Amino acid sequence: MFKRLIASRSARPALAILAVVALLVALGPLLTPQDPLAQNPYALLEGPSARHWLGTDAFGRDVLSRLLAGSPVSILASLLSVAIGLVLGVVPGLLSVFLSRTFEWISLRLVDALMTLPFLVFAVAMTAMLGNGLGQAMFAVGILITPVFYRVGRAAALAVVNAEYVEAARLMGASTAFIIRRHVLAKVLPAVAVTTAAMTGACLSIVASLTFLGIGVVPPEPTWGGLLATDLTTLYERPYGPFAPGLLIVATVWAMNALADALRDLTAPPQEHWA
Amino acid sequence: MIPTRPRPPLLALALGALLLVAGCGSSDQAAKDRVRWAFTMPTSWDPVTSRTGADINTISLAYASLTRLNQAGEPEPALAQSWTYSKDGTALTFTLRPGLRFSDDSPLDAAAVKAFLDRGKAQKDSFLKAELQGIDRVTTDGPLRLTLHLARPDYQLPYVLAGRVGAVTSPGAARDPKRLALWPVGAGPFRMIEFTPESHAYFEKNPNYWDAANIHIRRMELTNSPDPSTLVAALLSGSIDVATRIPAHKVKEARERGLTVVIAPSLNAANVSINRNKPPFNDPRVVEALRYAFDRREFVQIVTDGIGAPTHQPFPPGYFAFDPQTETRWSYDPARARALLRAAGYGPGQLSLEIAANPQTADGGAEIAQAQLVRIGIKARIRVIPPGSSSWQSEVYVAKRPQLAVDGTIGRESPVQNLLATYGPAGIMNLSGPYAAPEFLAAVERVRRTPTDDPAYKARLHEAVRIAVAQSPSDYLYSAPWIVAARSRVKHLNLLPSQVRWEGVRVE
Repeated sequence: MFKRLIASRSARPALAILAVVALLVALGPLLTPQDPLAQNPYALLEGPSARHWLGTDAFGRDVLSRLLAGSPVSILASLLSVAIGLVLGVVPGLLSVFLSRTFEWISLRLVDALMTLPFLVFAVAMTAMLGNGLGQAMFAVGILITPVFYRVGRAAALAVVNAEYVEAARLMGASTAFIIRRHVLAKVLPAVAVTTAAMTGACLSIVASLTFLGIGVVPPEPTWGGLLATDLTTLYERPYGPFAPGLLIVATVWAMNALADALRDLTAPPQEHWA
Repeated sequence: MIPTRPRPPLLALALGALLLVAGCGSSDQAAKDRVRWAFTMPTSWDPVTSRTGADINTISLAYASLTRLNQAGEPEPALAQSWTYSKDGTALTFTLRPGLRFSDDSPLDAAAVKAFLDRGKAQKDSFLKAELQGIDRVTTDGPLRLTLHLARPDYQLPYVLAGRVGAVTSPGAARDPKRLALWPVGAGPFRMIEFTPESHAYFEKNPNYWDAANIHIRRMELTNSPDPSTLVAALLSGSIDVATRIPAHKVKEARERGLTVVIAPSLNAANVSINRNKPPFNDPRVVEALRYAFDRREFVQIVTDGIGAPTHQPFPPGYFAFDPQTETRWSYDPARARALLRAAGYGPGQLSLEIAANPQTADGGAEIAQAQLVRIGIKARIRVIPPGSSSWQSEVYVAKRPQLAVDGTIGRESPVQNLLATYGPAGIMNLSGPYAAPEFLAAVERVRRTPTDDPAYKARLHEAVRIAVAQSPSDYLYSAPWIVAARSRVKHLNLLPSQVRWEGVRVE
């Protein structure tokens, strides 16, 4: 699959960007040229220079260092949300097809209820209730993307539940767990992989939005969204300020979406063509 | 004969057009005399239940006080046209202006003032009790004269009564204090016509105001201040006319984009409030360590763009209560701070604190304090108190939950009142409340008993400031002037050190 991805023209630039992002996540905090939290009251809002490649913020902190130091939090937070959504969505989605009608009905209503909740308002309410931390905010986002994974898992399971080989396995006395593990997961995984890639991009945007609003991250911890927010307060003095964090967010979200598209192309069943 | 067209439709059209033009003219006039002011909503529209000093700026739209301060900070006649002290200083007699009326058209007389002061002393949820406790009883002598009988001489009262404490409410409206907290009925420059909590309050000029001739604004629209980053844009777009407390780094932008920026002396001062009732601040060595932890020049540079001034007391340099000696007692010395922390048993990184930060100020003070605490080996985490007009007051001023809070005072009419608000047993900004050292209370008492024209007054006041700062664990950091930006059509802004006023302000 990975070889086919590499061979895909549309996936290559996305993978290249994601490789850079992965590098930032792994090594960003080690590559910072200066202490990202060190303030300098005599170098406020400076423009780009040899010492500060991306200038300084309203506290005299090196913007490049803050951008690098904020990379892991920004990316890992979105991955955490996706992981929560994946586990809480796919498993009940599969089980809703194989377990009792009561479980199916309750899980479907729960998912319907979750879909009515507005993202930002729910995240704000959760952080107000549980405390303003990234973990709490990401938990809220993870819960809210659960319906997407639930539906993907359930749709894929419905497609195979009446297949003859599943029927045969059931007649031979195979347990539900065995059937899911042996016959259903293989069919579900491609769809889940596509959804995971797409939702990671979406979650990165949500994380950036939340940290932009000051939710989930406590100052002076740097994040891409947080940097964007502080840059907006000094837009007149540093009009180029939002460019770097904005570019990182846009490029990463685009790369995740492009990867999701490429995965879908590779895993979709061949279409029939009529002359 | 050539038939003529009937005239009436033409006439009607002409009349309609005339009315339309007249209507436009009246609407233009209304817009011309209107001021949209971005500030914060008060914690209550009733001066008795208002919880914070900053509220005076907004509640004084609807209320007039017995006295008012001039630019020098001295009391001058307002609702009261004169006052005299008895020889021993234990009775203060006010003579009111004749013909005063509240905005509900009820008479504002000596009985109404007595009813207000009695309510301030007796109402269960009154926040004026501490300031009125020195008044034993109030008596009236006719409709215009009333006497405050004091438990002990207090020459600060004419100052104190220029603020919330003297902002007289209508006795009729005060029968329903819950409604009064949402709908003010006073005798101030304006009367309320619309109020949406946490959003806006609209007022129109009150013709019953004693100084109505100096009010040139027909309609005042008070709105919650938008995000500081958008204040200049809001002014330029015309959605607001006046923004108080714009960030210092926005001054250049505001001026370059044609707005009027006024930088005027104020009593605003920021501090790190420390709670000695919570560990580790129950150890005096930790408190002393923090005396040397803060580099005030950095705060001045970052928060006020260099236009503020470092201070260790709740008064700015130049104010008559400012004590120069207090400024020389401690200096920034992180090495000494670390040594004191070691002596208290805390090595580098062994002490963790939580800093409460107010999102409404959002000036970065908490982040600077945190960075400076790191330098002396203290790990500090910032906890932003959720926004809302009263959440900071509830969490910090009333419950006194934080170990440490980055806070500030907007000042008070009387320096003694300011000292007590910051350091007194019932002071809302005294995070260590009800703690207050007896020697501080004794020093304050000496100031109260001294007439303000007595040659010893200033020395006693400075002594009280010195003792106050030394006995409190909290650290004042810097003072900042008013930075007010306005659209060019708003002229002659009236900024007193302790209040924003609207007398004399014109809209062109």
